[in-house]
Parts: sequence; structure tokens; C-alpha cells
Amino acid sequence: MRWTGPLLIAVIGVLALFLDFFPNLTLPGRTADEPARLVETKLGLDLQGGLKVEYRVLPAGGQSPDATSLEVVRGIMERRVNSTGVGEPIVVTSGTDRIIIEVPGATDPAAVRRLVGRTGRLDFVPIPTTMTPPVKDQLLDLTQLTVLFSGDKLKSASIGTGQNGERVVVFSLEDEAARTFGDWTSAHVGEYFAIVLDSAVISAPRINEAITGGSVQISAGGIAGFPLKEAEELTNVLRFGQLPFPVEELSSDTIDPTLGAEFLASSLLAAAIAISLVIVFMLVHYRLPGLVANFALVYYALVVLAIFRLIPVTLTLAGIAGFVLSIGMAVDANILIFERSKEELRLGKSLPNAIEAGFARAWNSILDSNVSSLITASILYFFGSSVIQGFALVLIIGVLVSMFSAITVTRTMLRIVVDRSWSRRPWLYGVSAAEMVLRPGARGARREVAGGV
Amino acid sequence: MFDLIGKRRWFFAFSALITIPGLIFILLTPITNGAAGLRFSIDYTGGTTWSIRFANADVQADDVRAELIRLGQEDAAVVRTGKGFFDIRLAKLDLRGVSPTPTPLPTATPGPTATAAPSPTASPIVTPPPSPTTGPSATPPPRASPSASPSASPSPSPSASASPSPSPTTGPSPSPTPIPGSNTQVPTDGEIGEIAAALQARFGPIAEQASLSSIGAVVSSELVIQAIVLILVGSIGILLWITLRFRDVRFGATALVALLHDVIVVIGIFAILGTVFGVEIDGLFVTAMLTVIGFSVHDTIVVFDRVRENRARHAGEPFSEIVNHSLLQTLGRSITTSFTVVLTLTALLMFGGSATQGFVLALLIGIVSGTYSSIFNASPLLVVWHEWDDRRRGRRPGVPATRRAPA
Repeated sequence: MRWTGPLLIAVIGVLALFLDFFPNLTLPGRTADEPARLVETKLGLDLQGGLKVEYRVLPAGGQSPDATSLEVVRGIMERRVNSTGVGEPIVVTSGTDRIIIEVPGATDPAAVRRLVGRTGRLDFVPIPTTMTPPVKDQLLDLTQLTVLFSGDKLKSASIGTGQNGERVVVFSLEDEAARTFGDWTSAHVGEYFAIVLDSAVISAPRINEAITGGSVQISAGGIAGFPLKEAEELTNVLRFGQLPFPVEELSSDTIDPTLGAEFLASSLLAAAIAISLVIVFMLVHYRLPGLVANFALVYYALVVLAIFRLIPVTLTLAGIAGFVLSIGMAVDANILIFERSKEELRLGKSLPNAIEAGFARAWNSILDSNVSSLITASILYFFGSSVIQGFALVLIIGVLVSMFSAITVTRTMLRIVVDRSWSRRPWLYGVSAAEMVLRPGARGARREVAGGV
Repeated sequence: MFDLIGKRRWFFAFSALITIPGLIFILLTPITNGAAGLRFSIDYTGGTTWSIRFANADVQADDVRAELIRLGQEDAAVVRTGKGFFDIRLAKLDLRGVSPTPTPLPTATPGPTATAAPSPTASPIVTPPPSPTTGPSATPPPRASPSASPSASPSPSPSASASPSPSPTTGPSPSPTPIPGSNTQVPTDGEIGEIAAALQARFGPIAEQASLSSIGAVVSSELVIQAIVLILVGSIGILLWITLRFRDVRFGATALVALLHDVIVVIGIFAILGTVFGVEIDGLFVTAMLTVIGFSVHDTIVVFDRVRENRARHAGEPFSEIVNHSLLQTLGRSITTSFTVVLTLTALLMFGGSATQGFVLALLIGIVSGTYSSIFNASPLLVVWHEWDDRRRGRRPGVPATRRAPA
């Protein structure tokens, strides 16, 4: 029993150090197909520089976007942003009708906007016989080609089954386009046409026969036909290549990477100064217990950083401010305990007893005040926007870890320290020799002290 | 012993001295329609902020502003910062250019439906697997000759089997519009693009763009509602928690009053600072307020905890004396705990950079106010309420019921 406390503290501490400083540490993905993840401190866009755009998906045709269609829009946007090959874009849905795109490192909102905000254009383009049949993702210069018709002439698209049971994609056209397509295919059997989304070829099938009824089947080679994923992708493009709902840009934010780096440097400097100030203050004001509290504070900082890297929590400017603030708050519990211990010491309790009493008596206040912080932080987390959530998460982790570090870690260490003979000097605790009682019962009766300081 | 509770009128008066002007300035905001009082950042009002530096270092803020006004931006505000950047604030701009309205497609139910199912009588065309090695420049895949007459299929809906050309499994796609990496790109699209072009025509090229934010009206109005809701819900949560823990609604309610005091002090001071120095409140302000709410009750709880403890220990003493005791006993630690937080916040304020200064300042004011209100408002109010309750029950306040401890 006696060693479980120190052991737990040591294990957590070593684990935290490992997560904080071991280079290139990777974690296996949470599910089988999730790739292993590098443990790293994730920086928000404001510290890294980049672009963030928030879109709202508007209702169309009297229909409000539901979760499924929001996801479809998100998928289309993600594919478009990914096609730029810049950084690691993050495209997430938020709330019932929001899509947030973050492109770290990108500084030109217009480029992303051109790419993402547009509704998309799906074209059906005959490929002239003089041209090599295009492959998927190849870009076509549509100004040089004739567009037969566009996506708005599409009636429906789905995955179907061909004669031999293979997977095919079928789509049907509206009457007018069906006629156009029928005329063209009749004259061009054996040639190719391309389904083109935003100038990029999605699929370029060969015409095997005249297609006059407006119902078209695309099949792929192989006995099974299309792989399911490919078929789904093609169907999705056919159905949603044009965004099923119009989007509206709500806000955009561009931060230059150099500015982000400046922000990061200055907040780290401020954090370092803040920690140093607190450490000096605790040492001067509480002496030996202060030293122990400082150890707990460093421990706290290491554990919190490890948790940030583990979850991972994306650090923003506000998040770092929240972390620095939590450092000031983390020693609060220690201050309450030490002041109470000092008081108990002055009341005539022996040193070990006074410290134990300090912990016991201060516990109520510490619990109540931390719970009130958790209440407000949770409200911020559950109802706030994404920036606010980042700050709130930092605060929540900070409060929880500080309760462990300021109480368990400090108490365990103090218990060990006050057992040593060198530690029994009054000045180490900031009390006078007269107030210091080393052992229970060492000085007879309890001294009467009128309440008050 | 020093009688803090006895001097409560002075402490209440001091709070009034701070909160009443603050309240007046807060109320000025709607009365003057934003001309005085709180100054909201574009997070709330919507609009555009833009931070740029011209290659020509001699450009003056007034010239930039004049040019912007000439371009039709009557509300433009331009501030030149230390490093030669111009912080430009504009009214709502359309950054996008024109957004086309799409024609929504009929949403078909997913899954293999039979809507477009090919008629089985369709010519049995064998579509050979396209050779997978075929690249873009390769010859067309070999055709299996259309044996059955291709166009002869009598079915009303002849299905055309078309063979897709070999698709290389998608690697990194070619980028249609590459986004430049770290090089700042001055906007060229939309209204802001026009403004950028006009400014560059007048003052020479823009060398650097530090940031560009634009916020639409939807986000803004949501933020205001969200702010109010968050603060209300947070306050109620704390009221409930303290009432629950102390089993006395008077503790919860007085803590709540102290907390609202802090909210008013912070918003009021920002209203005054906004009127006098143009200090803005931004989206993070709400976060600061809620943090203040959570933290300011810390000190209140410490005092109340001691009151609860002393009341059990010194039963029979007049309530005002118990509270006075408790206050004096906890005064040191209340101030010390706030001091460490003030220490860290001061470091952030001085060295943490400009982006979070308003946020940190709000926290700082709130925490100082929180300490004051815990000691000088919440506890004396608790006494006032208790004495009022006692009077109502027909007992004279302040008279010891049984014994009086030597004080």
C-alpha cells in the first residue's frame, strides 16, 4: 500500500516523458484500417498559418440538407481540396449545415474558394477520334471540345447489374438529352465519350452501340464488373458531381505562416515566463512545500503535454493561453493546502499531522472550486464554436490533471520529505521556531490560539 | 479583530462606483447604435480585416484610408502597426465573386435500383477487359467486335454497354489550381481582389499579407446569441452546484451575485475602453467571460467553505462574526491564489503577442474583480441576507444566542 502512490506517480511520469520526448513515436490506428498515427503536438491554423473557410449548405428545391447529404457535400469538397495536393487539408462537418475546411500552409483563399465553393460542373464530352481516349483524372481543355450536355440533364444514376451479373453503373437522361445522346451514339459507335467533373475526367467509356432510349449502362472489365468502391464513386459523381445543395461562404480566415510562427514564439515565451514566475513565487513564499509544489507543477505540465499529444488536442493561441492560465490555477490547490497546513501548525499540530490536516481540510474547497471550473469549461466545450472548444478542452484536461498533481503528487512527496531529519527546520516552512512542533505530543497541550490569523 | 463585515457599505459603494459607469457605457451601445460603448470586432458585426504591408515603406495610413473611401469603403479603418503592416478593417465584402445557383439533381435513392435497368434483350456485347497497362497515350483497348448488330436491338431501351477506359488507381491527382505554399498571395478574386488591385495600382505592390479574415452576418448573429446563452447557462450551473454543495440557496445566490458583478465589471470596463481607446471585443471574449465565471467562484467557495466549518464549530456566535472570522482566516490564501493567476496572465499580456491581448486583459480584469467580489461582496451579502431572514423571524440580529467567544 505504501508504495502504490509513488509507483503510480512514477509510472505516469515516465509514460508522460516518453510521450513528450521520444522522437517519431507512432500509435496504431484505432480501427484496423486506420493508419498508424505519429504522436506529435498539433498546432492550430493560427499558429501554423493557413486557411480556414466555413461554409453553410443551403436548402435547395424546398429541401433542407440532412446528415447524409451534408456528408456527400463534405466528401465532394474534400476530394476537390485534396486534388490540390497542398498540405493536409481537413474537411469536417459542423452542426446541422456547416462544413469547415482547413488548409494548413495555404494562403490564397481565392484558390480554395474557386475550387470548393463552386457548385461543380458535370459534363458529357464526346472524344474526337483524333484524340487518345483520356484516362481517369486527366484534365481536359473543354474549350477545345464540344460538350454534348451537362449534369443537369441527368435524371438518375445508380449501381445496377449487367446481363452476366456483373456490377455496372446505370444512369438515365432526360428526354432531350436522351435524343441528343441517341443521335450522337448512333453515329459514333466505337468511339469514346468522357464524363467530366470540373474538367477532370471521371470515366471515359467506349460506345458499344447506339443508345437511344436515354438509359445508359457503363460496365467495367472483368467478370465481377466494377469494384464496389469505384461504382459508388462514379454513381456519386453522377448524382452529386454538381453539389446537391448550394453552399454559402460564411467566413474565411487566412493567416500567413510567418505570422503564425511569430504567434507561436511569443506565446511559448510568455508561457515560459509565466511558469518561471510561478515557480519563483512558490519557492519564496512556501519554501520547502513550495519546492515540492513546483515539482508537481513541472510534472503537471509534462502530463498535460503528453495528453495533448496523445488525444491529440490541436493547440491554438487561445489554447496556449488556457494552458498558461491553468498553470496559475494548478498551484491554487497547493496554496490552499499549504496555508491550511501552516494554520494547523500554528494551532499546535505536529508537522506531519498539520500537513495531513491541511490536505483533508482543503479538500472540500478544492473539489468545489474545480467542479465549478469544470462546469463552465464543459458548457464551453459542448456549446461553443470550434475555437472555443479547443480552449475548453485544454481547460478541462488542465483542471483534471491539476487535481492529480497538486493533491496526489504533492502529498506523496511531502510525506516522504517530512520524514527526513534534514527537513525539520522551521524556516523551511516559513513558520517560527515556536510554532513548529515536530512530533505528535512533543509539546504537551494544544496551544490556545484565538481564531484568526 | 478587524471588522470587515461592518464596513460592508463601503465595499458595496466601491462596487457600485465601478459597475454603474460600466453599466451606463454598456447601455450606451444600443442607445447610440454602436457609436459609443462596446466596440465589437468583425466576429460579431461581420466584415473583413486585412493585414498587408506595401513594398513601399512610405505609404501612410491616411492615404490608404482615403483610397479605400474613394473605392466606396466609407467605413474603412486603417491602422499602421509597428512593423509597417496596415491593419485594414472593411465592411462586409463579397469575397467570392458570383456564386452560381446549381440546379439540384433529383435525389435518387441509393442502392442498385432498377430505374435504369437495361433491357435484357440488349445485344450481348462482350466488353473485353481493357488492358490495365494502357496509359493515356496507349492505343485504344482492343474491341471485341460487335457481333450482334449493334444498332439492331429492337428493345425500347437498348442498353449501351460502354467500356470505361482503364483507370489507373488514383494516386495524387494533378492539381488544377495549385495553392501556393508559404508564399503569400494577394487576393485577386471578388471585391477584395478589386480593392487589392486598386491599392497596388496606387501605392505599388503589396509585399506581404499577414492575414485576411472575413466573417458573414450569419456567424455574427449566432455568436451574440451563443455568448448570452453560454453566460446564462454557466451562471445557472454554478448557482445549482453551490446551492447543492452548501445545501442553502443563500450561498448559491450570493455567489451568483458576485459572479454577475464580475461579468458586469469586465464588460463595463471593455465598454469604457472601447469608447475611449477603441478596444474591441472579439469572439474569444465569451471564452474569457466563462473562464472568469468559473474562476471567480473559487475564492467565494474558499470563504463559504470556511464559513460552513466555523459555523459548525462555533455554533451560537452571531453569523456576522463567523463570516468576519472566516473572511480574515482565508483572506491570505484568496489573495495568494489569485496572485499566481494574475502573475501568469500578466506574463501573457506582456509577452504573449497582440492576438490574444484582449482575451488576456478580459481574464485579468475578471480575476481581480472576482477576488474582490468574493471577499467584499459575496460574504457581506450573505450576512445581509441572514440578518434579513432573522429579522423576518422576529429575532434581533447580532445578539448572541448562547455564548460569545472571546474575540
